[in-house]
Amino acid sequence: MSSKTTIYGFLFVGLAVTLALIVAPAVYAVSLSFYQMDSFIGAPKWAGLANYAAVLQAPEFWRALVNGAIYALGSIVFQVVLGIAFALVLNETFPGRNLVRGLSILPYLLPTVVVILTFKWMVDGGIGIVTKAVEAMGLPPINWFESPGAAMASTILVSVWMWTPFVTTCFLAALQTVPQSLYEAARVDGTTAVQRFFHITLPMLKPILTVVVLLRAIWMFNKFDVIWLLTRGGPVGATENLAVLSYRRAFNLFDIGGGAAIATISFALLSVAVLVYFRVFPLEDD
Amino acid sequence: MGRAKTLPRRLGLYVAALVIAVYSAFPIYWMVVSSLREPTELLTDVSLIPSVLSLESYRNLLELTDYPRHFLNSVIVAVAAVLVTMVFSVMIAYAVTRQRIRGKKVIVGAMLYAYMFPPLLIAIPIFTIFARLGLSDTLTGLIVSHLTLTLPLGVWFLWGFFKSMPFELEEAAMVDGCTRLGAFLRVVLPLALPGLITVAIFSFLLSWTDYTFALVMIGSDANKTLPVGLASMVGSFDLRWGEIMAGSTLIALPLFAAFALMSQYFIQGLGAGAVKG
Repeated sequence: MSSKTTIYGFLFVGLAVTLALIVAPAVYAVSLSFYQMDSFIGAPKWAGLANYAAVLQAPEFWRALVNGAIYALGSIVFQVVLGIAFALVLNETFPGRNLVRGLSILPYLLPTVVVILTFKWMVDGGIGIVTKAVEAMGLPPINWFESPGAAMASTILVSVWMWTPFVTTCFLAALQTVPQSLYEAARVDGTTAVQRFFHITLPMLKPILTVVVLLRAIWMFNKFDVIWLLTRGGPVGATENLAVLSYRRAFNLFDIGGGAAIATISFALLSVAVLVYFRVFPLEDD
Repeated sequence: MGRAKTLPRRLGLYVAALVIAVYSAFPIYWMVVSSLREPTELLTDVSLIPSVLSLESYRNLLELTDYPRHFLNSVIVAVAAVLVTMVFSVMIAYAVTRQRIRGKKVIVGAMLYAYMFPPLLIAIPIFTIFARLGLSDTLTGLIVSHLTLTLPLGVWFLWGFFKSMPFELEEAAMVDGCTRLGAFLRVVLPLALPGLITVAIFSFLLSWTDYTFALVMIGSDANKTLPVGLASMVGSFDLRWGEIMAGSTLIALPLFAAFALMSQYFIQGLGAGAVKG
């Protein structure tokens, strides 16, 4: 077999798999949004832009867009701030550092469903440990899911716990690339630790910060499993984002065209973020 | 960083480290402890360290529910997804790093793009296609849908890995009479082993923990994987928290074991952006 045959064979396989698994479903999702379908096996009827018109006129769409933005922004800010703080601590030397570093990654390894169930167990109204602790401190009971604001805060809280390790690990790796000589020089100049953080550490970490925030934004904005498992988008739609709305439309209300239209709009919003990502980090032409 | 640390500063550091450890590990500890308590004591006992350990919840879970079957389904799906991902991602990543051709950027770009797709966006079209092909509610369908998560990750990660691998090694082997395929199998693959292990670990993690695709693709109880099976237990099980925490612990166990044994691969993968959403 010649050298070319092998490489082109690999490449052909690659193209075929990419087309079948990625490109075709994406194109199909967009085309579904132009059809009216009320079952997954029924014949689709051409609907033109009717699905989009219906979706964009529904107040729940705009509510989902705003909810998604609040959820993404809230969870990203706390993830990043906590992630940086943890990385700064774990970058210092202290006994048991490797153990604490290991523990700090564990939340990231857990399946979403495990995190949600454990959280629900801990805040269980009757016998959860958090409920009992709050009781023991003489505080009024916390309603984690009953009011719209509380449900959103709970969703953000759980998400921050789950994804902070990713930020911590990225920053910890990046901190090790900052040359120590910069700190030495700054220390000689009589700077404080806070000044060194804002004038050396943060600027050096800016590239990784950009990647982390962009990636987190893309994923948090379209998060489905956390919200669905925790609140089902409730109460009264207060935590419903576009992903949950799209799922409900397609799989609960069997408005497949409408679900696909919402998914396509999410695709479009996502693509803007991805384009920004490619602009900041172009695929090198080597 | 600082060498001559003052005592208050060192104390502050220890307290901060302790806070991080407790914050990260306490919910996990509580999950495990709750699964090991006597189920009747779960309602009253909130001591941090239980006086009596019991496997009652595990026995109920394994004997009275479909959990063992869901566990087996999860193993089948995850192992299949990992194997297919490794074979295809190594071929694709190798071809796009070692050959200058058009279409290369399309593959890499599509893979990176796909890697950022949230699962639910791709679940609607895939489910519709599978419903027509008769693949809905099958483990095969679920495996294929997991490939849309794992393959982009594998290609993306190995692409970076192969880029940093020098051509000279394969060229030397080919000068010595190896074919391209021979050089790939005998020289490139063994050297790429650490990268392949990382891909295998993260593909397993993605497939094993996936809730979204399994929720959409699987309808029957017999074909459910662990995350969906466990979540559906909450409604039907009259909130038996002991059993639910036992089920949660058993899902997490393989992941923790893998992490304990191969933490350097996890850290390397996370650093290279092998994220699960």
